[in-house]
Amino acid sequence: MTKSAYQQPLLRSNLFVVWNEIIKNTKTMLAYPTIIVFWAIFPIFWFIPFILQGQAFVGGLESANFAQITGSGEYVPFIVIGAILNSYVNTLLYGVGENIRKEAYQGTLDYVLAAPCNKAYVLIGKAISESLSSTIFAISQLTISVLLFGMTITLGVMVPVFFITILLILGLYGMSLLMAAFSLMYKQSYDLSETIGYIFYIFAPVRYPVESLPTWAQIIGKFIPLTYALIIVRSIMLLGTDLSAVYLEVITLLIVDVILLLVGFYLFNWIEKKTRKSGIISHH
Amino acid sequence: MVAEKEGEEFSIQTVNLTKRFTKKRHRGFFGFLRKNQSNHKHNGVTVALDKLNLSIRPGELFGLLGPNGSGKTTTIKCLSTILIPDGGTAIVNGFDSQKETAMVRASLGMVVGGERTLYWKLTARDNLTYFASLYKMPKKDAKKRIEELLELMQLADRADERLEDYSTGMRQKIAIARALLHDPPILLLDEPTLGLDPGFARQIRSQIRELSENQGKTVLLTTHYMDEADQLCDRVAFINRGKIVAVDTPNRLKAMVKEKELVEVAVYRPPADIEKHIHSLLPDAEVVKLIRGDEDKGNPSRIKIIGGTAEEHIETVIDALRQKNVRIGSLNVGVPTLEDVFIKLTGAKLTEGGA
Amino acid sequence: MEKNKREHRLREVNCPTGLNWSNLKAELKAVWESYIKDWRIEFAYPVSFVRQLISPLVFLLPFLLYGIALVGGRYSPNLEQLVGTGDVVTFIFTGYMLMGFIGTAVWAMGFSIRRERWFGTLEAIYVTPSSRLGQVLGMALHSTVHQAFGTIIQFIVIYLTFGLGLKIEGILPALAIFALMMLALYGFGIVISALGLILKEGWVVSDVLYSIMMILSPVAYPLVVLPNVAQQASALFPTAPALIGMRAFLIENYSAEAFGNVFLHLLALGAAWILFGILVFRLTDGYVRKRGMLKKF
Repeated sequence: MTKSAYQQPLLRSNLFVVWNEIIKNTKTMLAYPTIIVFWAIFPIFWFIPFILQGQAFVGGLESANFAQITGSGEYVPFIVIGAILNSYVNTLLYGVGENIRKEAYQGTLDYVLAAPCNKAYVLIGKAISESLSSTIFAISQLTISVLLFGMTITLGVMVPVFFITILLILGLYGMSLLMAAFSLMYKQSYDLSETIGYIFYIFAPVRYPVESLPTWAQIIGKFIPLTYALIIVRSIMLLGTDLSAVYLEVITLLIVDVILLLVGFYLFNWIEKKTRKSGIISHH
Repeated sequence: MVAEKEGEEFSIQTVNLTKRFTKKRHRGFFGFLRKNQSNHKHNGVTVALDKLNLSIRPGELFGLLGPNGSGKTTTIKCLSTILIPDGGTAIVNGFDSQKETAMVRASLGMVVGGERTLYWKLTARDNLTYFASLYKMPKKDAKKRIEELLELMQLADRADERLEDYSTGMRQKIAIARALLHDPPILLLDEPTLGLDPGFARQIRSQIRELSENQGKTVLLTTHYMDEADQLCDRVAFINRGKIVAVDTPNRLKAMVKEKELVEVAVYRPPADIEKHIHSLLPDAEVVKLIRGDEDKGNPSRIKIIGGTAEEHIETVIDALRQKNVRIGSLNVGVPTLEDVFIKLTGAKLTEGGA
Repeated sequence: MEKNKREHRLREVNCPTGLNWSNLKAELKAVWESYIKDWRIEFAYPVSFVRQLISPLVFLLPFLLYGIALVGGRYSPNLEQLVGTGDVVTFIFTGYMLMGFIGTAVWAMGFSIRRERWFGTLEAIYVTPSSRLGQVLGMALHSTVHQAFGTIIQFIVIYLTFGLGLKIEGILPALAIFALMMLALYGFGIVISALGLILKEGWVVSDVLYSIMMILSPVAYPLVVLPNVAQQASALFPTAPALIGMRAFLIENYSAEAFGNVFLHLLALGAAWILFGILVFRLTDGYVRKRGMLKKF
């Protein structure tokens, strides 16, 4: 006789939840081939205007001011890296929240919440499936960018970049747990996700060097994991440095990740219990 | 059956109304890799309405009964111009649904989908004001009419609350109020009491009856609640697989099996061939039908036998069941219902998909 | 049977139809009520309302800050060489303030029908005698006014933070150009709303079109930076001539790229897009009702 969920070891059953959530989300995504093709190719169109703007303003492919601030005047790869890493923010901040809203809309959210498993693992499963699809899309976009804009990528560069991307994703998991917690409590959590996204977009160096912002804005940027990820990845890809040259930023990113994950995990479980007690389950 | 007189005017008339849908299989991103031998043909055509002929007189409360997928909603949608039929015609209040669309829409009030077809973030009054403008009602007339309808629905004191704070039954009342805004001569009601508690359902039925009897409106009501059709309707049509199977008053329809009594036996774990077995012992029975129940939840299966008198059948039925070692829960003798008539005519249950 | 006899037996219906003042009045009222309805729904989500007011500013800032970071200030000699003005801030602001209105056509109108489907009210709207186009126009009007508020906030913040070099005497002709641009954008938006009915992932179409228009419109760069083929394609959309025309009136020393008479160009585009939009909408309406696709998400 097969064991029931209660009789299985806790870690194993939690990992089982994560795995099944990944499978479910992946199968759902595969049911929409148009959307897959869209995300694999189309985000490039969003940063083309910035590249054209650069050409109009500096009359070439290098900005003297960028070189002065960041050490590299190449604004095209600067923009491409910002756009691709920012796409993880989009999918993890909005994607997980959107996933939960879809569950609420379809009517399955109540059943998920009533299940005996720890819901944080359901969210981790959602976040991992979003990260996996984001990574596939990022690789596709990077490949197209390399072909279109003549960027050079080597394996020696990609390994540390991949490591930093994982660190970025971990920090974003923490944020998405926080977003999910608010999704349960408040009907307008979508607006909160969007607002957090706005803050990332303006205060992190997605389109411009963080040093070009006023000091007060740079301080806000220091609380955002994307800021460190972008600085590190650009150092590696544009300046040819390795991780040891940016170890301070790597350590800070790790610390920010740990804080976000712990706070996110704790808050999510606390709010989930609270909503079950009070009977508020958010629906759109 | 009440014969149609030559030259008779109808509020709603369909002539050979046909509607087909092409089913598209969604194969997903890797669908082209899937080799399924039994599904070479991925698309199919469903005939939702198969040369449907329907005639409803002015002021009639007409019921359209059929199981899920029989074509009830498709009929409503063709009449209301949401769907363009593939063949035949539909005339509503004298207007052709395909050529005089605006006049057909102005002649109809519709309740389809009920409470979910309103704006929950708006108040009842705001919802009705908006839809009144879509029915091209002058502002003064609309305001007066909205107040009248809110009083009628007993929701005047809650008119300025958002619909998200209403109960399901209250929202359904507002959906009905919306259908009555422009005082249309014809109402199309698609399962108007579905999902409502008995109290609200009773109120809605009472309102429907009032609209037909006292205001002379033509009402086309679709439902798979046979009791509702039996109570309310002047005439009932059975629809199955897009075709009208029978049309008449509820009493005349029941009379088709009236002289025969109904024997209904509750049984547990009947074998698949039990219908055949009982039929072989009762060749004169008009209907022998097994309706499977969810026995794990305590709902036994039921066998219905219609034909002759109960006295003639009971012993044979019990013997037949014992021969097959079927456990008997209970035995009832009753009067056939509209559902029984439907089963007799089509072999299917009203609450199943069409056979 | 003759019509007269039909009217005697069946109930008469009072509903204006056809080309007459009574029907036009009724249709305009429906447009107005659709506009009011959208505001009422919007105010039911106050946080979203506030966020959407500031989002035009949020998406403008990266273009501005990026432009300033590229040249190390607000003056670009290369830009001056191309269009006669090197004021990066004013150039970008005058470009970007129109982008939100492209969003009106592509997103608000494009999603108008789909949004009703999501609410569950699409069929209820379809069975009324009012024109479906009226619904779309009501939503377009709401989005335009909404965007106007966002643009005013953009203007105030950018003016106070960076300062703007705009010619006051150019405001009226710029508004005239803006109005003509909106006419054509509404026509374009009607096409998108029709596509929203038949395409399951309609937002993909909206996003693709918005991005293409963003690239083809000289929002953050002069048109001359684009390849020739793209420059010619931009003439088909109202934003390029409108932006060039508005900048010519609003910015000192701005030397407009050759686009002929911008007013005539926009009038022609407006007429073409509106006629095309109505045609596509009618065809799609029939297609959707034939296929029974109104309820599909």
